Amino acid sequence: MSESIFDSIKTGDEYEITHNNFTRTDFVKYAGASGDFNPIHHDESFAKMSGNETVFGEGMLTAGMLSVVPSKWFGATSIKKFGVRFKSRLWPGDNVVFKGVVTNVYEEAGVPHVDMDLTATSQKDEVLISGSATCRPWTP
Amino acid sequence: MFGPPVALISPAGLPIERGKIHEFACAIYDDDPLYHDETAAKAAGLPSVVAPTTYTSTQAFFSDPMAEMSELGDLELNMMYVLHGGQEYEFERPIFAGEVLTSHKGEMKTYTKQGRRGGLMKFAEITSNFTDEKGEIVMRLKSILIQTAGVVEK
Repeated sequence: MSESIFDSIKTGDEYEITHNNFTRTDFVKYAGASGDFNPIHHDESFAKMSGNETVFGEGMLTAGMLSVVPSKWFGATSIKKFGVRFKSRLWPGDNVVFKGVVTNVYEEAGVPHVDMDLTATSQKDEVLISGSATCRPWTP
Repeated sequence: MFGPPVALISPAGLPIERGKIHEFACAIYDDDPLYHDETAAKAAGLPSVVAPTTYTSTQAFFSDPMAEMSELGDLELNMMYVLHGGQEYEFERPIFAGEVLTSHKGEMKTYTKQGRRGGLMKFAEITSNFTDEKGEIVMRLKSILIQTAGVVEK
């Protein structure tokens, strides 16, 4: 979590993390960790009864994994803003690229700030989530 | 004999727990030691492990569902047609294990937009402010709900 990343970063810089082959177990792990026990994410018969082919992932699972991009890139304590819009659903077997692109580098009150656009895109070229984040160095 | 099912409702405040953070970080595949390892966090000058960015969203699922429903009713939203459209977080500082945060309902607003497929869509933005034990705001959370004109297809 070196702060020097803020010295060298520039607009257009990219960072991405891929996660392949999402499983139903991933959805169940997130359900337990978050407390989101909506059966549509873990109960196959319920999901089918609601008109879905199978269970699908929690939007907040994809959002949580997208938040790993700015925190791994600039440090876990650097997040100032993080926002997402849900676009499409995550299915078992999906491969997803979580990506950040720097859109602005500036100073606020003498502190370096970085704005970025974020996307989670599946192998079908479908954007599951789009979002943005702002990072800045933070010290206790 | 077991008792009736116990609802996962956090009675007062949101205790930020180290074990829960570890579990949450595992579920989102983040191996950063600052989420998992108290020693590493302290070596970095932090009071304890850091709560991942979206960690506080877990709180929504431990609050009182009846109160949440009545809140949606106050906004004249029909749960049948409501989608979770988005989520926005704004941090004054990181959140650490060992803290107890309190969430306060902030501003709520609704507005309508013409949907691409014809119908009128209703948007609701619900803001919650999370304060620490000193009463200072550490994070603002905005949830965006969308009510479609007809049956939700997506």
